[in-house]
Amino acid sequence: MTSVLRAENLTKRYGRRTALSGCTLDVPVGHVVGLVGPNGAGKSTLLQLACGLLEPTAGVIEVLGERPVSGSARVGFVAQDAPVYAGLTVAEHLRLGARLNPSWDSTIAEQRIAQAGLDPSQKAGKLSGGQRANLALIVAAAKRPELLLLDEPVAALDPLARRLFLQALMELVAEQEMTVIMSSHLVSDLQRICDHLIVLVGSQVRLAGDVDDLLASHHRLTGPRRESIDVATFGWTLIEDRHTAAQSTLVVRSTAPIDDPSWQADQLDLEDILLAYLSESAPAATPERVLETQR
Amino acid sequence: MTWLAWRQFRIPAIAGAVCLAALLGALLLTWWQVRDLAVSTGYTGCTGEDCGSAASSFLHEIEQSVANRVQLAGIAASFGLPALVGVFWGAPTVAHELESGTYRIAWSQTVSRRRWMLVKLSIGGLAAALVAGALSLALTSWAQPIDDAHATLAHAHLITPLVFPSRGVVPIGYATLAFAIGVTVGLMLRKTLAAMAVTLVLVVATQVGAVELRPLIAQPVHRITTVTTESILEVETYHDVVVRLGAFPSETDSWELSNTIVITPGGPEYRGPTNQEKCTPECREWLGTQGLLQEERYVPARRFWLVQWRELGVLLTLTAALSLISLWWIRRRPA
Repeated sequence: MTSVLRAENLTKRYGRRTALSGCTLDVPVGHVVGLVGPNGAGKSTLLQLACGLLEPTAGVIEVLGERPVSGSARVGFVAQDAPVYAGLTVAEHLRLGARLNPSWDSTIAEQRIAQAGLDPSQKAGKLSGGQRANLALIVAAAKRPELLLLDEPVAALDPLARRLFLQALMELVAEQEMTVIMSSHLVSDLQRICDHLIVLVGSQVRLAGDVDDLLASHHRLTGPRRESIDVATFGWTLIEDRHTAAQSTLVVRSTAPIDDPSWQADQLDLEDILLAYLSESAPAATPERVLETQR
Repeated sequence: MTWLAWRQFRIPAIAGAVCLAALLGALLLTWWQVRDLAVSTGYTGCTGEDCGSAASSFLHEIEQSVANRVQLAGIAASFGLPALVGVFWGAPTVAHELESGTYRIAWSQTVSRRRWMLVKLSIGGLAAALVAGALSLALTSWAQPIDDAHATLAHAHLITPLVFPSRGVVPIGYATLAFAIGVTVGLMLRKTLAAMAVTLVLVVATQVGAVELRPLIAQPVHRITTVTTESILEVETYHDVVVRLGAFPSETDSWELSNTIVITPGGPEYRGPTNQEKCTPECREWLGTQGLLQEERYVPARRFWLVQWRELGVLLTLTAALSLISLWWIRRRPA
């Protein structure tokens, strides 16, 4: 398994403020990777470090085996809020892409623009948020990068626009061989398209893995209330535990199946798993506050 | 990258071109008026002694005409151009991209930040040089008869701080430097409006500073002559104190830096005491016999082109230095 992005002890400080500290990470190639975490976890900073817009204060980051430098043909990036040139038309954005990227694929670009229903003569400043995000995605994807980084691309979009954007993204991924890393604090979006997840909390990687493995290895156990549970003896990792007067509810990680009959084991969906990790990390904050669970 | 930079620069460039065209139009419309006046006053084609009075009446006629206003407008435009270029072309170039976040789209293409910066600097810098060069060329050739007439009369004209920056090649230097100042300030402040304000202050400071520093490159003439009764221009005394004492400049067609009456070269200005007995009612005679010295520092008009090229050299060097700082900064200090 080769890495598309590797970070070791990656740290970024803006003056006194630390945006990312000691982040160690290894992202395998060929996935649609969801980078999830609460606001301020360092997702944006990590992505900007990965495309060379920022330089690390300390630590190492390697993207596609190289130190990232902005202006690379191999990495595409759609920044937060999907910036576009307000005074340029949609067609001029494609021209910009064609002029500035030797690897530009104008067929894909034009096709995508038509599919997204964008009017080529429209000024980008007059596009809706969803259209703008689509345009930015098309410009980033048509240069045919090996790695496409998307920073909260759908955060500001309404549900319909979000769905259209993700659809467009999935079609692009199906057409081109590229790895996508997409940050979001909306679990439902990631669930829809990602096959690999990274949970970043307080600039630490809390959880990383293929979605299928994560789903298979996490269980919710319900049983009579117990004062102390020694999960380690079963080979489980305790992620979250809740106790009422009568019963205990655990979220555990276990690669082996749960065969203890005193527990009732249930499957968890991705959102439950993520919320368990996020609430574990930030006991003071309610999960709803750190992680929006819009559907 | 050139296409994008030009596309972004298009609207400010058109605005600048329209202003330039208006000025060039005014110069063109009055072009023949200036030449006709030179003919009708007999200045064109004059010979020998007649030229002095012909030049005088020509300049007098010019002063009464529309051409005079056009000339003043041209000089005002030459002074204002660097500020306009710096504020409206230079400052927003990078600051607006940083402020609105569009730099992130540009830097995500297959183009290095340095190249992005270099192309922006080149296009704006060239445009600034072109506009300033066109204006200066037009104004310099338009005013040729006027400048000649001033030279005939040995007036302090071309070399003086008021006229010098509007003629010859230095306007090109001021415009490119102003553009580079705008870009660099925008790059560092990252806010368009703040960058425009700071650029305005810096460009004006440069223009003011240039007047102060010009003598350094102009190699002024330092001349010491003995004061005679004939060379005294004005005297004013109060009891035995000399309130004001001035002597005629040796070369009137010059930029006078200092012209003082002293006892010893480099010493303080002469203030008396005078011999009151001999100074009543008029002191001129007596002062002329005291062996006082006239100490002058001035830049003669014949140094015009030497100073022009040297000043252009300094301005272009500063432009290059600021450009290099910008190129270094964009790589070292990203977003």
